[in-house]
Amino acid sequence: MRVNLRVNGDPVTLDAEPEMPLLWALREKLGMCGTKFGCGIGLCGACMVHLNGAPVPSCKVRLADVEGQEVTTIEGLSADGSHPLQKAWVDLNVPQCGYCQSGMIMAAAALLKVKKKPTVAEIDQSITNICRCGTYVRIRKAILQAAQS
Amino acid sequence: MSGFAPTRRALLKAFVSGAGLVSFHILLPKSALGAAPSASEPGVEVTAWVVIEPNDIVRLRIPQAELGQGIETALSQIIADELELEWGKFKTEFYDPQINRTRNNVYVHTAVLNSWGVDMLFEPMRRAGAQIRHMLLEAASTKLGVPVDQLEVSDNRIVERAGTRSIGFGAIAVEAAKLPIPDANTVRLKPKERWRYIGKPLGRLDVKDKVTGKTVYGIDVQLPGMVYAAVRQSPVFGGRLISYDEKTISGRPGVLKVVPIRGGPSGYTTPPSLWDIIDFEMDDAVAVVADSWWTAQKALDDLPIHWADGPNGSVSSSTINDAFLEAIKSPGRIVRQEGDTAQALKTASKVIEADYHFPYVQHAPMEPMNCTALVNENGVEAWGGSQYADEALRIAAYAAGVALKDAKFHLTYVGGAFGRRLSQDYVSQAVQVARAIRGTPVKLIWTREETTRRSYYPPVALTRFTGGIDEKKRVTAWKAQAVFGSAPFQPYGLSRMPFSVPNVEFQYIGIETPPPFGWMRGVAHTQATWMNIGFMSELAELAGVPTLDFHLSMLNEDAVPKTRPDHDDAVARIRRQRKLLLELVQRAGGRERRGKGLGRGFGITDMSYIPGYHSSCIAAAVDVALDGKGWLRIERVTVVVDVGLAVNPQNVEAQVEGGAIYALTNALYGKLTLKNGRIEQGNFDEYPMLRLAEAPDIAVHIMPATGTPSGIGEEGCPAVVAAVVDAVHAAGGPRIRRLPIKDNNLGFRKA
Repeated sequence: MRVNLRVNGDPVTLDAEPEMPLLWALREKLGMCGTKFGCGIGLCGACMVHLNGAPVPSCKVRLADVEGQEVTTIEGLSADGSHPLQKAWVDLNVPQCGYCQSGMIMAAAALLKVKKKPTVAEIDQSITNICRCGTYVRIRKAILQAAQS
Repeated sequence: MSGFAPTRRALLKAFVSGAGLVSFHILLPKSALGAAPSASEPGVEVTAWVVIEPNDIVRLRIPQAELGQGIETALSQIIADELELEWGKFKTEFYDPQINRTRNNVYVHTAVLNSWGVDMLFEPMRRAGAQIRHMLLEAASTKLGVPVDQLEVSDNRIVERAGTRSIGFGAIAVEAAKLPIPDANTVRLKPKERWRYIGKPLGRLDVKDKVTGKTVYGIDVQLPGMVYAAVRQSPVFGGRLISYDEKTISGRPGVLKVVPIRGGPSGYTTPPSLWDIIDFEMDDAVAVVADSWWTAQKALDDLPIHWADGPNGSVSSSTINDAFLEAIKSPGRIVRQEGDTAQALKTASKVIEADYHFPYVQHAPMEPMNCTALVNENGVEAWGGSQYADEALRIAAYAAGVALKDAKFHLTYVGGAFGRRLSQDYVSQAVQVARAIRGTPVKLIWTREETTRRSYYPPVALTRFTGGIDEKKRVTAWKAQAVFGSAPFQPYGLSRMPFSVPNVEFQYIGIETPPPFGWMRGVAHTQATWMNIGFMSELAELAGVPTLDFHLSMLNEDAVPKTRPDHDDAVARIRRQRKLLLELVQRAGGRERRGKGLGRGFGITDMSYIPGYHSSCIAAAVDVALDGKGWLRIERVTVVVDVGLAVNPQNVEAQVEGGAIYALTNALYGKLTLKNGRIEQGNFDEYPMLRLAEAPDIAVHIMPATGTPSGIGEEGCPAVVAAVVDAVHAAGGPRIRRLPIKDNNLGFRKA
């Protein structure tokens, strides 16, 4: 099946099974590996992307359902790492292993779209991604810092 | 190279094997063996440690894997300081285990374990940097015709001190590489007053790539013509593959091949020169190869596989528990004995006994196990993450059936590991698949469920404590009888408790349990520290004394018998622990919290394995709130840490923060169970992790620098587990004797 969509603003045509999760199409068909595989059941958030601006775990999105849609991945969040969240992340040295951080940043970016100045409670409620290195404390600070900029 | 680091290695070896002291040599390069870097990246290798590019940029070889612990940055700080590099005017690359193999362990310590990276490499890398600096000075002296003593090194250049001439590293690298390497023992190091990078809270080198998705982890490796493999191992530990029905899936679009994988070696988990040689092996497996991983995994899910469960097929958590309770009826191996515990218990005014339990847990790194491999006429090449790339190389060669010289292992960034990647089972699997499809590179990836169910596990543990106090509320007897599941002999977490008690006895019983052993962050101390501090707290309650007061009273250096062979070490540990606990009380806001349902608990560890062990000491206070319905909230963690010298203080803080979260996840939630020889939990719904909303604020205080660096990756875990358990009781909650805390009728609220 051929699926047409836009990824980070570019039109893309994918020839793959309609049931294939978007995650694997991004990673294997498009070679965009910034989006990570963590759990495969939409629980950990490592594969978070924006679908028409809203955060979704790409391991739970079928290719068949993204025809004509707009997908944004970590590679497309900014051209050069200049998104306020990315800058705050660098400033506070948030990542450790870094594996969950693409998903974390995409989740945080989606939050800032709907809440320009989120409270700590709102951050806690909306960022449910898992980080095993335990960078949560710095993530909270980095989102608050980015929201100030 | 005698005189640094090996002392402790020798001690450990002697301790673990029971053999006498062994002297070790750490080898730094004696001659420049000029292996040419790849043509695409021009440069000259000057010793095994660096490559200098024509534009003066220096490529630093990092002899450790970067799993998130910040080692790439810390080691760069150490060598860049001696080499007088401009910060940023260098690149890093992970070491090549083939170079380490052929040059007699030139990188000194390459395994990522025991929080030893900075500790073990601090002096070797300073010396290596100084050697290279001297070689560059010599070469510049010849080229410029200026005596060495009139030259100095500054920001990737050699500069004439009183003149105007200077020359970049790139212009003299070829000549420098030909010079004899100065003796590592006598090479002059920079005085620490002139350190520019060591001790500074510099930003991580890897952070920019990690926030833009550019970092290449093992799972991200891409090769032309690559195919993908999904893998399933025997669901029962020790089970064997009998057959599979390939017809069911053959002919499906995209499915290329089904490959049986033989069980066998998975690599030594510690350097053989350092410790007992231990390979915990791997079981049989089946892999499906396809043109996408998702296609491969879907086909694998539909593939009927017939396993022989073997004797472990009837083992469950309940049978293991029964075996533990049976085993503890018999006396164990006496690990430590002082005074006469039996007599002291008879004459004690009050005696209590308590059993403490630790469950199976798992590392759960975010990056599932994976490896990419290619087998062809040249041998084998493999790409991926590993905590011990020397062994990954060896296992790759073994699985490919080629000579070691014909193997390559390309170490990538690692998406967490926590001890898991000290076993190289996934490397063997990928190579076995690659061998079956010679000439085609294959990326093998595990599911999350497979990663949970086929790990290498720290042991389940049960400790039966018996303690007695006298009329003056002093502890007169402390007896601990421990039963550990499959593991190397590891009583130290329990037996090395620093309390000053006149009559002490430790017994250790190891029994075989099916899940293979694996090292995990906080090795053995994670099981033991909270037990020791928990039982100490029970004795405090028996004596009617507040826990922390009682704790401090048991850290009494005057009570250490002069006759104890490790008297001086015991006193030093007590002094250090008292100092940190008192500092912690100040920083945490006092010995206790007033108010219904509020609790503050304390934990401390120095992770000392043997007398004289060089390690960090960390004290943690955890504040909790507990409501009447059993809802627990972790409010705040305060930590005081003595790491000797913090090479990068901001990174030390990050490690402590992460260690605290790791500890809280294990303490609150961590539990795996077995049924019919299988781990019952699979994904994060069944094996939950602490999330952001539950993460407390964490404050870290680093004690002023003394001496040389000691580790910080692991130490936070045992101390924080102990502190949170103590805090629950301080808040009016139950006495936790069985982890995880959730199994004690408690739920968790967001922070």
